[in-house]
Amino acid sequence: MKSFFNDTPHSTPSDPLSRVRINFLFVFFVAGFIYITTGLAYRQLVQASEIMIQSDNQIKRVVIRPPARGKIYDRHGYTIVDNRVRWSVKADLLSLQPEFRQEYLSLIRKAKADPTVPKINYDALNEQARLNVLNGWLDKIWFVIDANTDKPKKLKTVAKLPSNKEERTVNRLALRKHLTESRALKFTLITDLAFPGSENASDPDEANRTVARFIEQFPQGGPISLESDMVRSYPYSTMAAHVLGYVRDSTDLPPNVDDFTDLNFDNLQKLRYTGKRGAAGIEQTFDPILSGASGWELWTKTSSGYNKELLRSSEPRQGSSINLSLDINIQLAAEEALRQIKDSTGNPLPGAAVMLDVNTGEILAMASQPTFDPNRLVDRISNKYYDEIENQGGWLNRATQGQYAPGSTFKIITAIAGMRNHIIDWDDILECGTSFRVGNRDFPEHGGEAFGSVDVEKMLTISSNVWNYRVGLKLGPELLAKEARRFGLDAPLLRMPPSLTNPSTTELPYPTNRLVIPDPAYKMRIGAGPWNSGDTANMSIGQGYTLTTPLHMACLAASVARNETRTTPTIIHDPNRDGRHEGAVSIGLNKDQLEAIRIGMKRCVEVGTARSMQIEGLSIAAKTGTSEYFKNGEKAHLAWVIGYAPADNPAVAFAVLIEGQLDTSTWGGKTAGPVAKAMLEGWQVENDKD
Amino acid sequence: MDNNRQGAKASIIALIVFIGLWILLPSAVRRLNKEAFAEFQAPAIQLLSKSRDLARYWELRSRSTEDLVAAGRDLARINATLELKLQAMEDIRKENLRLREMLRYPTSTDYLTVVARVATRDTSSWWQRMLIRKGRNDGIRPGCPVVFGNRVVGRVTTVHLNISEVELVTSPAFRCTAFLEGDDPPRIVHVSGVASNPFTTGRAKVSVIQPDYTPPAGQVAKVVTTGLGGVFPAGLILGTLDGGVTSTAQGNLKEAYMVPSKNLDTIEEVSVLVPKYPTAGEILMSPTDRIKLEEFK
Repeated sequence: MKSFFNDTPHSTPSDPLSRVRINFLFVFFVAGFIYITTGLAYRQLVQASEIMIQSDNQIKRVVIRPPARGKIYDRHGYTIVDNRVRWSVKADLLSLQPEFRQEYLSLIRKAKADPTVPKINYDALNEQARLNVLNGWLDKIWFVIDANTDKPKKLKTVAKLPSNKEERTVNRLALRKHLTESRALKFTLITDLAFPGSENASDPDEANRTVARFIEQFPQGGPISLESDMVRSYPYSTMAAHVLGYVRDSTDLPPNVDDFTDLNFDNLQKLRYTGKRGAAGIEQTFDPILSGASGWELWTKTSSGYNKELLRSSEPRQGSSINLSLDINIQLAAEEALRQIKDSTGNPLPGAAVMLDVNTGEILAMASQPTFDPNRLVDRISNKYYDEIENQGGWLNRATQGQYAPGSTFKIITAIAGMRNHIIDWDDILECGTSFRVGNRDFPEHGGEAFGSVDVEKMLTISSNVWNYRVGLKLGPELLAKEARRFGLDAPLLRMPPSLTNPSTTELPYPTNRLVIPDPAYKMRIGAGPWNSGDTANMSIGQGYTLTTPLHMACLAASVARNETRTTPTIIHDPNRDGRHEGAVSIGLNKDQLEAIRIGMKRCVEVGTARSMQIEGLSIAAKTGTSEYFKNGEKAHLAWVIGYAPADNPAVAFAVLIEGQLDTSTWGGKTAGPVAKAMLEGWQVENDKD
Repeated sequence: MDNNRQGAKASIIALIVFIGLWILLPSAVRRLNKEAFAEFQAPAIQLLSKSRDLARYWELRSRSTEDLVAAGRDLARINATLELKLQAMEDIRKENLRLREMLRYPTSTDYLTVVARVATRDTSSWWQRMLIRKGRNDGIRPGCPVVFGNRVVGRVTTVHLNISEVELVTSPAFRCTAFLEGDDPPRIVHVSGVASNPFTTGRAKVSVIQPDYTPPAGQVAKVVTTGLGGVFPAGLILGTLDGGVTSTAQGNLKEAYMVPSKNLDTIEEVSVLVPKYPTAGEILMSPTDRIKLEEFK
């Protein structure tokens, strides 16, 4: 039998040409095999770990979860800034994919059937499909929340919750942003179920009822779920809002908890939940302490970018707590009293009130009016509320950031400077008429009254201007300014204690740095011309260019009470504080001189300009002041009172300032006195408890 | 041989066709089928349950006269005590009514109570449910709370003509809101059943406990219903926190396990609290009432 192959002419293996070809092919295939094998071996053995990391990085992602912030307590341990549970309704977009697809196809069918549609925009339809599906679910959620089953004949919505339109329909832009930036996370349909769209926080009972209705009645197991996290809560609403500050959204989360040594975080894709950062007050300056450490979750992800499986996680760690020196009862008393000082239209006048512990410098109360409710700034600041605060000037902490002429409260400085520089002694008497001529101008006594023979004690009791003009002019501006600076009236306050490791340099943010103790050089510097005697006369009664804050004036009162020049105020409570004040030295008056000052301030309350703040059983030393300032180009009055109590054994010092309006009658004792009285009564109650 | 092979092939094809048809059938037909099956097996379940009752009856009949006399005497004492308590309760009820009238306090949502015998129960980790011998004919609706005294047993999930399925508090499908004993002011926590390991007692999980919550010292904290969700009346006991203070950090909050208040393995009879009017959730789940959602929109 003949083989078919044997019949073909060029197929014999012994043919040299065929052998060459076969050998060539053999070499080619062997080389190719070696190349592929070597390549595979290289990939498998040499590059294995690198490729595995790359592969891991492609299929994994880290989700960073923010921690709960630390609490803030008052000096007695009452919680003044807390965290509350926020219940959010979220939609799992991955589970909703089939519904999106169905709706999308339905919309395409409708569009194709519609002859008025010239060209179908598939992307727009896709987005619309998602919106339709999510809005359908949102309707169901609100149906469960709103339906009042007590009145079954006709289902009615319960009009107790603020019906924020934004929370009742899905925001197209928010959805678009979510799909672009964080589609792996669930989409938030309702941010805060307990307080939906909370412009006006509904009452806690209604909030609880809303959450309970959803949990117990909404069908479960579907794509809609309820998630809970912690958000900032200010239980006393507006109380000490300027001190406490508020928080705002931030994706700049605090550092992670340190337990991921085997994870190469840097190369993994990261998604961050929105956390909170301090935006004002203590929340801002103590943010590193309050903010804690972020937790994380390691997820695998789907090809379309959704989270698939949770591999590992680490819980966030709550921030540390802070004890403030504030006393909530005194603080509430101060704020309530401030609210009672109203203008002719019945609106509270702007103002500030501060109370300090004389010995430690700890701030017991710091109020500023107008104010704001930090609860309403937690999720987002509505334009309306922002404008409301802005128009009222409510962002300003008038106690630390307001700059005011101290008025007659400055007369304490003039008197001390006069005695220390031997211009006058405690028992020297000056004749004071209805005015005092300086240059070619008569500087008037307040009220146009002639006080006759006036010594230091009487001057402080009746607040004589003429006495101060005369002493001030003899002293000159340099000595007056030197004395004011000695008491730190233009010194920065609330500097962060070095013991606290905190990047912020001050305990409260942005204290004013535009305080002015004027002198001739200052006047030249601002281009107001050379200094004249009238400037000195004005300065001696706390008018003119002098600018300081209520906190500085409270510190002055505390310093006089302790017979020292400086008081270091602080907002942080430390039971072991030693009571030493930075840069403080003795005032430098002899016993009689000091006594004259103290008795003068005491008499000011007993029979003088501060009679409105008398409290039975409590001796008070105070000095009132009424200075002028320009509001919209017209003169208005600032009402001041500073002092300390008890007069014989000082424990607390205070300062109150009220900004009068053009059409209001504002006087130190009459207007500011009642606020100081309310604070002292609050302190008395606390003191009696101790 | 060939015939057998062909027969096997035909069976497989028939099975595939049947499965295909079942998948393609409209959901209403499938639901009807499921309902028909439940109704078909309901008499058998009822018969079994009633036979057990009968067996128990005959077992009691076989007791000696002395035993019965002693039991009767004990019962008389218990009755006397309960009579006194009943009187006291009546006084409290009147006082309560009077105070409500004085304060014009609204009366709580009314419930109709339907007492039902337990037909079967499966408290194993697999099912966590029980069947009761009352159904649609007795006015029971899905979502109704099921209680024993002042203790929550679970919630009705499916209702047939004469039997109903009850999801126990330990079932993963169960959830409600609760207050914790010792939490002042009371703050809402979330209670849901958990899938537990085989051969272990079912437990529920209490989550969203605020970090500063501490159970009352020296006693096991009770978990009680809030009465705010419109399903469970307020103050019913869901269970007690397992291990007292052994709550664990979960996120920024805490969670703990809860042991149900009534031993669900031995329960014989329960009360179904049927709300006078359907809840919104009930309407949402019921296909016939979907129109109301449209009206609402």
